[in-house]
Amino acid sequence: MEPVVQFDNVNKSYGKHVAVDNLNLSIEAGKFVTLLGPSGCGKSTSLRMLGGFETPTSGRIMLSGKDVTRVPPNKRNVNIVFQDYALFPHMSIAKNIAFGLELKGFDNQRIHRRVSELLELVQLQDYATRLPAELSGGQRQRVALMRALAPDPDVLLLDEPLSALDAKLRQQMQIELKAIQEKTGKTFMFVTHDQEEALTMSDTIVVMNKGRIEQMGDPNTLYGRPGSVFVANFIGETNLLRSTVISSEGDVAALNWNGITITANPGGLTPRHGEHLYVVLRPEAIHCSAAEPVSGNRVKGKIRQRVFKGNHTSLMVEVGGGAMLNTLVHPSDVAQLGGEDIWLGWKPETTTVIPDRHAHN
Amino acid sequence: MRNMVSDAPRTTLTAFYWAFILYLLLPLTLMMAMSFKDANFVAFPIGDWTLDWYAKVMQDKQFLEACLYSIMIAAASTLAATTLGTWIAMLIVADGIRGRTIIFALACLPAVVPGMISAISLRIFISTIDMPTGTAAIILGHTVHAVPFVVVMALTRLRSMPRNLVDAARDLGADGVVAFFRVTLPYLGPALFGGMIFCVLLSIDDFVRTFFLGGYRPTLPMLIFAKVQGGMSPEINAMATIVLVVTAAVGLYAEFITRRARTR
Repeated sequence: MEPVVQFDNVNKSYGKHVAVDNLNLSIEAGKFVTLLGPSGCGKSTSLRMLGGFETPTSGRIMLSGKDVTRVPPNKRNVNIVFQDYALFPHMSIAKNIAFGLELKGFDNQRIHRRVSELLELVQLQDYATRLPAELSGGQRQRVALMRALAPDPDVLLLDEPLSALDAKLRQQMQIELKAIQEKTGKTFMFVTHDQEEALTMSDTIVVMNKGRIEQMGDPNTLYGRPGSVFVANFIGETNLLRSTVISSEGDVAALNWNGITITANPGGLTPRHGEHLYVVLRPEAIHCSAAEPVSGNRVKGKIRQRVFKGNHTSLMVEVGGGAMLNTLVHPSDVAQLGGEDIWLGWKPETTTVIPDRHAHN
Repeated sequence: MRNMVSDAPRTTLTAFYWAFILYLLLPLTLMMAMSFKDANFVAFPIGDWTLDWYAKVMQDKQFLEACLYSIMIAAASTLAATTLGTWIAMLIVADGIRGRTIIFALACLPAVVPGMISAISLRIFISTIDMPTGTAAIILGHTVHAVPFVVVMALTRLRSMPRNLVDAARDLGADGVVAFFRVTLPYLGPALFGGMIFCVLLSIDDFVRTFFLGGYRPTLPMLIFAKVQGGMSPEINAMATIVLVVTAAVGLYAEFITRRARTR
């Protein structure tokens, strides 16, 4: 199937500063795609280029099979939900939503029908005549979303639209956004620096760093099989074990980490003796126990810090050589560990191996 | 226990404040009081009170004509100044404009140049381009004088305008012109309304420029000036009182409207 959005070798620089560095990206229709990365990674610039508010320094942007690289924003069929919503303050909610429809030349009856339909979708029928200033943050957010959806864009662009909301409302809106995306079947391109938002809603996450794509994949893959140290650190909490290869054969590599021998699956890599590797070990993959585990990787340690987090307790455990491992246990299991001296164990298949050359970030 | 010494500066300040208010209001009050005096001379004591002077003013064809003329000039110069001022303000905030500081300085210049200098230079200017004195010249002079005030008020409002508003309009299919008329202009509305009222008041009030640029038809200040030359009479007081009350009412109304819009 032909992708709805395609970036071909797109570059954008401001003077000497390179904001987007040779971006190649295809987005399939009907998907929820998130551009994730720290501020200044080029995600917002990419979105604004697709919206028509920035022109690439070089490269080509295709939208539904047409080259839109130099088409002005009012002539391309994409709509943006802005970070600050940008609702027109002097227009009622209904007028705001109708704005794009009027400019498309729809007749009044059709506009009216579409506006009611959209207001109903987010249960704001009773607010049609109100001004944006009379609405709460979450309601304004919904109106901005409906205004952008109204003209039926090929792609809906969302520029960190949840960052102005408080934590509770943000979680609620994440679920609502995903539901609306599924109900309307629209292609959503969402920009955020919040990895939790990305994991919750996306079909595909594109992790960006320094204007480049670091890794792209579904949330499960990115979390479970990060391809670089940057991705491993950016998405979720992680322990990165810098190890030296002792031997490697097929699916099993023996590694030396801090004087402890551990095993891991090197995946597609063929590591040589003496080479350095990173092992990505997620806190929840570690099993804590009072007795020594019978199989898998195991290491003895001492609890240095416990942080109660409600549904789990986070433990910082010091293992040999001063290295710390971050792990978590169910609060009711903490007592069963006995004292401060515990065993940590994990199965080799729960870890991922990243070559060291990717580590230069 | 209250300390008399530490209270002294405060008491002095309060006294000065009230003295200033008195100084400000006394001449106006006197003028208004005299307009109700039932006699031909402007002097105390006021024996009998009357509204005759007002009746006389309202039937004075000269006064009514001068009022109409002043209002016409005010309307025309306000329209011109608002259009020009808004355009200059938009130019200053536009992307990629070089020398915006210079444009701003030039736009503000007419507000700080002394009225006399401005009037003389305008007079020289119109005779250079062979423009006759009269209505058109007065409108030109008043427009130049009013533009800076519109620019400043429009700029203040434009700078508080979320950048994304215009982007959002463009994104939803509006070209630059539609975005300006449907989003930017309504956003500027309250500021422009305030600016327009200010332009009207400036124009109605202006004497020096009108004096240098005017023809034979008198505007309101010129008529009052001419009448004063012929000797003080309570009729002039009545005229001035009407002008005072009307302009004060308009000014307060404008302030009320812009304040309400700002708090929204």
